[in-house]
Amino acid sequence: MDFFSFVEGPLLWIAFLIFIIGSLIRVATFVSLSTKKDKIIYQHFSWKYVFATLVRWILPLNKDLVKNPVFSILGYIFHICLIVVPIWYAGHITLWEESRFEWSWSSIPDGLADWMTLIFLAIAIFFLLRRIFSPGIRLISAFSDYLLLIVTALPFLTGYFLTHGTLDGIGFWGDNMQLFHMLSAELMLILIPFTKLSHYILFFFSRGASGVEFGRRGYSI
Amino acid sequence: MSQEIMEFLKPRVGARFKMWLNICAHCGLCANTCHYYTANDNDPKMIPSYKIRFLKEILRKKGKVDRDYLQRVYETVYYECNMCRRCTLYCPFAIDIALMISLLRALLFSQGIAPEGLVRAIENYKKFGNQMAVTDEDWVETIEWCEEETAEELVGLKIPIDKKGAKLLYTVNAREPMFYPQDMMEVAKIFHVAGEDYTYCSKPGWDDTNLSMFCGDLKTSKMIVENTFKRAEELEVKQVAITE
Repeated sequence: MDFFSFVEGPLLWIAFLIFIIGSLIRVATFVSLSTKKDKIIYQHFSWKYVFATLVRWILPLNKDLVKNPVFSILGYIFHICLIVVPIWYAGHITLWEESRFEWSWSSIPDGLADWMTLIFLAIAIFFLLRRIFSPGIRLISAFSDYLLLIVTALPFLTGYFLTHGTLDGIGFWGDNMQLFHMLSAELMLILIPFTKLSHYILFFFSRGASGVEFGRRGYSI
Repeated sequence: MSQEIMEFLKPRVGARFKMWLNICAHCGLCANTCHYYTANDNDPKMIPSYKIRFLKEILRKKGKVDRDYLQRVYETVYYECNMCRRCTLYCPFAIDIALMISLLRALLFSQGIAPEGLVRAIENYKKFGNQMAVTDEDWVETIEWCEEETAEELVGLKIPIDKKGAKLLYTVNAREPMFYPQDMMEVAKIFHVAGEDYTYCSKPGWDDTNLSMFCGDLKTSKMIVENTFKRAEELEVKQVAITE
């Protein structure tokens, strides 16, 4: 098996399994530890406050939109592109159809996927510049913050190069774009459970816990 | 010392703290929600997310930090945050920074680091049941004196003490009998004219301040609240009212 087949086959499996099982372990760890050490969440648990706070922050109905409109709106667009493009891009769906699962669902137009990718990359660059040049954000940024932003953006960058053949024929990088695209996406999937990227799922538990904490005092956050 | 620190932190660092320290995306949305940040010309050191780096560091170093380090923690958790929780309202993950600051204050207290005034107040709570070291006799005498003084103005005015079955148990800040008895007299007048059915209690539980909470001394904190509840149950009151 050459390296390409390994990345295309077994490594993809490994990446997905680490992503899924790792995420489940993160959630299970939180739930089991919190039942012992954060009993207050369960003593005062109320779906009403959990639901309210999650809806406010999943939909743009929250305080941040008023306080920091630019960053909030860019943050929303960033996350929408991040979720929609990989899942509903037609090229990806074709791969699922050809896979052993033979899963299929409708796609977004390629033109839209292109635009969303470009917008995503533009916002990612803005976030990176903000981290580098805003004194406050630079102070609170750790090395991992820069790294993870780049790790998240790379699959989109390589994906764009791959679909448009931008770098085709330009040396080693141009000739192996499909490999880099898969590798970068696998790297991101593998890193998710171990880093702050796990907020994709822990967001719900963190907001839920604080929703209960404030809710028991009669304030819905 | 590192062992003591870890022994203190281990049972207290729950699932939420661990999750929060891990998922904070350092996005900086909390920055301009903090009044210490805006009042100090947007000083980056005042960003709430930055202030809790101490907890992360102490856990990573397994408690191996020196006295100077703890002194720096002290400066931040007492003088750069008053645990108002406003940052939590704007954090996309609703990370409760104040709760972590509170834990750091409690850690410092366990290592004997706390503002002098608070330490003195806590000793007073433990010994006298109130922050100003007012003895039970002095307390009752003060109420009686207030009654005498006020009754000169409003004839027939009484200030009930330990009246069983009253509707309200009225509690005060211990600074009132100590420095501002006129506040108690004003309240007595209002209650008298309004015909309110209330009472003071003679035993500890009448001080409604809870300063031990500010340095995370939850044991004393609990004792203070329990005292008030005990008195309320003994006197079979319906409600507990606290001073303004």
